[in-house]
Amino acid sequence: MTIFHFFNCAILTFGPHAVYYSATPLSEYDTIGTSIKSALVYLITALVKLVCLATFLKVSESDSFDPYQELLKALIGFIDVAGIYFALTQLTHRNISQNHKFQAVGLGWAFADSVLHRLAPLWVGARGLEFTTEYILQGLEANANLVLSISLAALCSLMWLRKNKPKTLIPIIYTCAGIVATMPSVTSYMRRGLGWHFPEIVGFELFTSLIMAFISWQLFSACQRPSN
Amino acid sequence: MAKPHTVASVLTGPLYSSILTVLIIVMACVELCDAVTVVDVYRLVQYDLGGVPFGSRLAALNHHAGSSSFFSSSSAAADLSRTVLILPVRELNLTFITEYIEQKKPLGGLLLLLPPVFSPQNIDTGGGADHESAEDLVKEVLGELEQFLIHANIPYPVYFGFEDEHVNTLLADVKKNDAAGQPATATTGGYKLVVAAPEPKKIASPTITNIQGWLPGLKGDGDSSQLPTIAVVASYDTFGAAPALSMGSDSNGSGVVALLEIARLFSVLYSNPKTRGRYNLLFALTSGGPYNYNGTHKWLRSLDQRLRETIDYAICLNSIASSSDELWIHVSKPPDNAYIKQIFEGFSSVSEELGLKVGLKHKKINISSPRVAWEHEQFSRLRVTAATLSELSDAPDLLESTGGLSNNRHFIDETLISRSVKLVAESLARHIYGQEGKNIDIFADDSSLSVNPSYIRTWSEFLSTTPRVAPFLSKNDPFIMALKKELADHTAEVNVQQEILDGMFTFYDSTSGKLHIYQVASVTFDLLLLLVLGSYLIVLFSFLVITTRGLDDLISLFRRPTSRKAKTA
Repeated sequence: MTIFHFFNCAILTFGPHAVYYSATPLSEYDTIGTSIKSALVYLITALVKLVCLATFLKVSESDSFDPYQELLKALIGFIDVAGIYFALTQLTHRNISQNHKFQAVGLGWAFADSVLHRLAPLWVGARGLEFTTEYILQGLEANANLVLSISLAALCSLMWLRKNKPKTLIPIIYTCAGIVATMPSVTSYMRRGLGWHFPEIVGFELFTSLIMAFISWQLFSACQRPSN
Repeated sequence: MAKPHTVASVLTGPLYSSILTVLIIVMACVELCDAVTVVDVYRLVQYDLGGVPFGSRLAALNHHAGSSSFFSSSSAAADLSRTVLILPVRELNLTFITEYIEQKKPLGGLLLLLPPVFSPQNIDTGGGADHESAEDLVKEVLGELEQFLIHANIPYPVYFGFEDEHVNTLLADVKKNDAAGQPATATTGGYKLVVAAPEPKKIASPTITNIQGWLPGLKGDGDSSQLPTIAVVASYDTFGAAPALSMGSDSNGSGVVALLEIARLFSVLYSNPKTRGRYNLLFALTSGGPYNYNGTHKWLRSLDQRLRETIDYAICLNSIASSSDELWIHVSKPPDNAYIKQIFEGFSSVSEELGLKVGLKHKKINISSPRVAWEHEQFSRLRVTAATLSELSDAPDLLESTGGLSNNRHFIDETLISRSVKLVAESLARHIYGQEGKNIDIFADDSSLSVNPSYIRTWSEFLSTTPRVAPFLSKNDPFIMALKKELADHTAEVNVQQEILDGMFTFYDSTSGKLHIYQVASVTFDLLLLLVLGSYLIVLFSFLVITTRGLDDLISLFRRPTSRKAKTA
């Protein structure tokens, strides 16, 4: 039962990434190189964030919500955005269209995030005899994270790669990008400040990720229309 | 670029399957549990008597939990060979369990839950008078259960545990599930009980340790002959259904405590040459009591024969702390023997003054039978006059009244020990100083020689928290060292004799373990989850193909590959 459970949770956590890659035209245009490069950029970004967190944050004994600390964490979270900027613009990619570039970058980003944060607990914990729903919820969180990463990459590519955007949409784009970038802070506020439990947080993440995906899709297609 | 589909189809696809997944998982899974619980449990004894196996023959446990309410809901012919039955002793149906074991019905394991009053961590005062009738009832049931289990051959693991909050909630849950009619197996989830224990091994050469203390009497200058000796003997080891829980507060913890106190009193008297008597005193703490007083037998044979011949008489102490009605002096020589008469009269006169009733019981010894029911019989076999002072009126059978589970500190009364100490010490002292029949109170209360109740209480507490089954006490066990040191404080010379327990009994190790309780989900749950995940991924795949490449591509995926090649060419 236990290895079986591990297998199930692994499918839930990492399956959607593989499915996304094979289902969309990404596999036809062979964009795996881009995804790998963005995964590496994620790793470096994570290291930089860790160093900043260790330097600037003080360890609090209680698990309560400290606004100042959370604000600092949110600012450090913007390093994520910087990382995506780097991956999108600075790296040399093969000649693939903008549409596919942001998808590949988002996919690689989300995959690296899942592997880094969720693989080790899954391997160690899901194989025990005792049953908990924790790893299933973690898999659902990985799904939400995938959607969020792709939305963030889409919005960022709109911000930096597309030159002619309708003027009215620019502030909306920036606010949406800001919201998506601060999602980690919002979830930690919910866990600490509001005292929500893990299932509720995962539900919230799924819901908001779908909303943000929809909004960014609409924005993307709206920006595309003038150039068509 | 493909046109995005309508809003409705976009939203229903992944959202619906996500919510469905979450709902199915929430419905199918067991309610969120607390972490793995670990409980201390103690195994039923495993031994061979003359090659015949007794007790529980297995130690490792890894099965699902079941409860007694399972029997009320379904037919009795249910297969329990992969279930561990959890039975609280408080509500135990003794006939049911004895029938079950006698008919050799298969069972995965048995976990018996004792009320917390029997727990070694629960140091209750030995006040004695304030225990309720419910606890007495449990004690009786436990005593009977113990005797039955000791003499049964059980091919599955049997463990004793204590009722605490974790175990009680577990049992309530299991009962609820069982009452609903579905036993816990691999396919229906439930609780799994695991005790990881290696296979029990025989204990090779179990040692028994006898400790003797010698208090010499006053030898006059012209005395060439040896002084006579009086011996006070008590066996200190126990035997019970759970060796790790056999504290034997009464059998024979009370005897050991009384012996130590008597030794202390006489050491005070003998420390001053003016009050030293003309008798030597020999105190012996023997082991191997439950096994036909094997230790006493070996100790007597190791004594120098001349010393043995100087023993006037020996008093053996056995269980003096529970009954306030009457004490018995058991003898094997006929009551009209002069020595026996003298001893008994000495004891009776003191007991009258104390307000205690003492009776005399005679039981002939049978030299050909190996069964030795009382410790004094070992002396009688070597023609030494001896008697046993005990509250038991009848001779116990083999492995009966040997200080098992039901022999707990909660049920003893320390004032009774004090009274017996006074009885024995006073009788011995009057005999030693030749004051029989005289109106004198040597160990009067409020004198420097009064019986010390806190000494008795401390030692009684110590003995009630130390399991003392002889094969599991190593040669240098701290308990044995403590007894030796205490006797050395009160006597002039201490000897420790170590022997091997006779071959009739063979014991096996692994007397305690840790029980891990896991809440497990069934295999069907994981299969269901796999199905849901598979369908989710397929839906996701189809959705992505449709939205990014178009419906035609999805359909073409299922056609033969040649048609796709023709398309791209």
